[in-house]
Amino acid sequence: MVKADFLTGLALVLMSVFVLIESWSMPRLEHLKAHPLSTPGIVPAFLAVVLLVFGLVLVMRSIKAGGHRLGLSRQGIRRVLSEPGNQRLLMTAALTIGYAGVLVGRTPYWLATGLFIFLFVTAFESRRGMSAREFWRMGLASGILAVTVTTAVSWVFERLFLVTLP
Amino acid sequence: MGALLENLGQFLGAIASFLTILALFHILWAALLGIVIGALPGLTATMGVALLTTLTYKLPPDLAILILLCAYVGAIYGGSRTAILINIPGTPANAATTLDGFPLAKQGLAGRAMGVATTGSVLGSLIGMFFLATLAPILGNYALKFQSFEFFWLAIFGIVISGHLTALEDPIKGWIAGFLGLLTAMVGQEGIHAYERFTYGTTELLGGFALIPAMVGAFGFAEVLSVMRNPTAEVAENPQDSVIPKLADVMRYWRTIIRSGLIGTIIGIIPGVGEDIGAWVSYAAARRKSLEREKFGKGSVEGLMAAETGNNAVVPGAIIPVLTLAIPGSAPAAVLLAAMFIHGIRPGPMIMVESPQFVYQVVAMVFFATLAIFIYGMALTKPLLKVLAIPRSRLMPVVFVLCTIGSYAITNRIFDIWVMIGFGIAGYILRQMKYPMAPLVLGIILGDILDKNLRRGLVLTDGDLTPFFTRPICLVLWLVTLASIMMSIDPVRNALQRAAWMVWPGRRRDES
Repeated sequence: MVKADFLTGLALVLMSVFVLIESWSMPRLEHLKAHPLSTPGIVPAFLAVVLLVFGLVLVMRSIKAGGHRLGLSRQGIRRVLSEPGNQRLLMTAALTIGYAGVLVGRTPYWLATGLFIFLFVTAFESRRGMSAREFWRMGLASGILAVTVTTAVSWVFERLFLVTLP
Repeated sequence: MGALLENLGQFLGAIASFLTILALFHILWAALLGIVIGALPGLTATMGVALLTTLTYKLPPDLAILILLCAYVGAIYGGSRTAILINIPGTPANAATTLDGFPLAKQGLAGRAMGVATTGSVLGSLIGMFFLATLAPILGNYALKFQSFEFFWLAIFGIVISGHLTALEDPIKGWIAGFLGLLTAMVGQEGIHAYERFTYGTTELLGGFALIPAMVGAFGFAEVLSVMRNPTAEVAENPQDSVIPKLADVMRYWRTIIRSGLIGTIIGIIPGVGEDIGAWVSYAAARRKSLEREKFGKGSVEGLMAAETGNNAVVPGAIIPVLTLAIPGSAPAAVLLAAMFIHGIRPGPMIMVESPQFVYQVVAMVFFATLAIFIYGMALTKPLLKVLAIPRSRLMPVVFVLCTIGSYAITNRIFDIWVMIGFGIAGYILRQMKYPMAPLVLGIILGDILDKNLRRGLVLTDGDLTPFFTRPICLVLWLVTLASIMMSIDPVRNALQRAAWMVWPGRRRDES
């Protein structure tokens, strides 16, 4: 956790400095005779200063605990990536972002949704050594779920809530 | 006395207004859905209320808020089932429930434990409801006196206290989350000069980040990622004993019930703290005061009662600041606040002037929700176990489909789907690093209040900071805020403890 804190602290410091610079460059609106203390940059600058202090505290604290020695190695990264939990996480992220970020809006909604549910269930439920019967049963179940959910969600949002589906 | 009778009359009138078949139908399905959402590990009350907001935004305001409230109360209660049966809190609010609920289940008393949870939840909600009905009008009238200076400190106070209480081990992380939320709220057109901050020419960012997609992401998508990463939970067997709540438990632990109800309500009123803290504090207080302290953690009925009374009392408590100050007491209450704005309801200091009847309608909604969880508490045990058996690989894609369409549907913008994804990933990473989500959400809501009121206050005083520190309410708020910060700094806390021991030498011995 100290390594993560060190990196988070650094990110906070960098972000706060960026926000401070941006806030400083925001207009003072003198031509509108605005009060100097009502300028748009004042509150973001205040927040950036607070976050800068917190970021520095995190960095200093984690350096004291040795968090700055990141000790990153290819082997370490490979070990983390090969953990079953992390593999499930990466697969979930790929499937969900692929669906919501890529497919939705570019392909018909029913097709994108149906495909996503089918692929998600199949990806997580299929395992090595499955018999052909088990595989077909699982495929059928995921197909039924995909069709049912897609139909229900499309109907509710399009017909009941009058939403133009993406 | 006259005012009390008038309040009672308004409450009864509100009850009568919901005695229609349609309203009762909505109460029943929403509370049931809430219980199911709460019971399923990975689906939280905040996520449920956020998703339901997107599903109810076309309904009339009173029915939509009724549905959301029933789901909220139901979810906080529903989480106790999983906590008792499989030792995994259905929602974070039920974490304290596992300590005694699961040991009771292991002793073959799962039914009794569920009955106690039902009793605690119902009584907790009723105690909170009583304070909602009595305190909200008083606080509403008092809030009319608040000016920019008070609102500025209220925003800072909310972030600091919420950050402290939701990250007790490392409060700085809670504060960082809260200030990040405040900074997030700075994106978009600001409210005084209409200047576009941090938009970089993106028209979608003119209005800032929409709260509902952000919440759906931080609580929905982030949960989907967490659930899929963690190992699967084992489902317990059916309880064999009776789930009917026992009157004897109420009579025996009435002091614990009242104390936990009060603690829960107070924790609920504190901005952005929430049900989980309400349950933990109630549990800790019950343990300290109990005559059966040794049973705690091994299957104590009193401990379970305290946790469940405490978390459900937070719900009405958290609605008190929503109605009177437009500041949420918990994360689900933040969604409720956003939903009220979507439906054109304007909670805040003016509510007791503009629409006092709405306050009593909300009290009536809590009453119906409590009634519904009581009914389901007795009737719904075996079917719920079947729901718990749904594999996550089938449930989570459906949840994510709802997260996606729900984020999109409110304003029909693909951009909001990206907001959901962005907040989901950020929320997941922050949570893994032990940053609490409640202060972040509170920050997003309080950002606008802080921004406008700090600048207005400074303009009013021509830059003089004195009123920010000398007005009576400001004085209390900044002193408590400062004390909270100072107490989390180790050398300061140690010095204070040493000073206390010097003044009261006997105290150290008592504490050990």
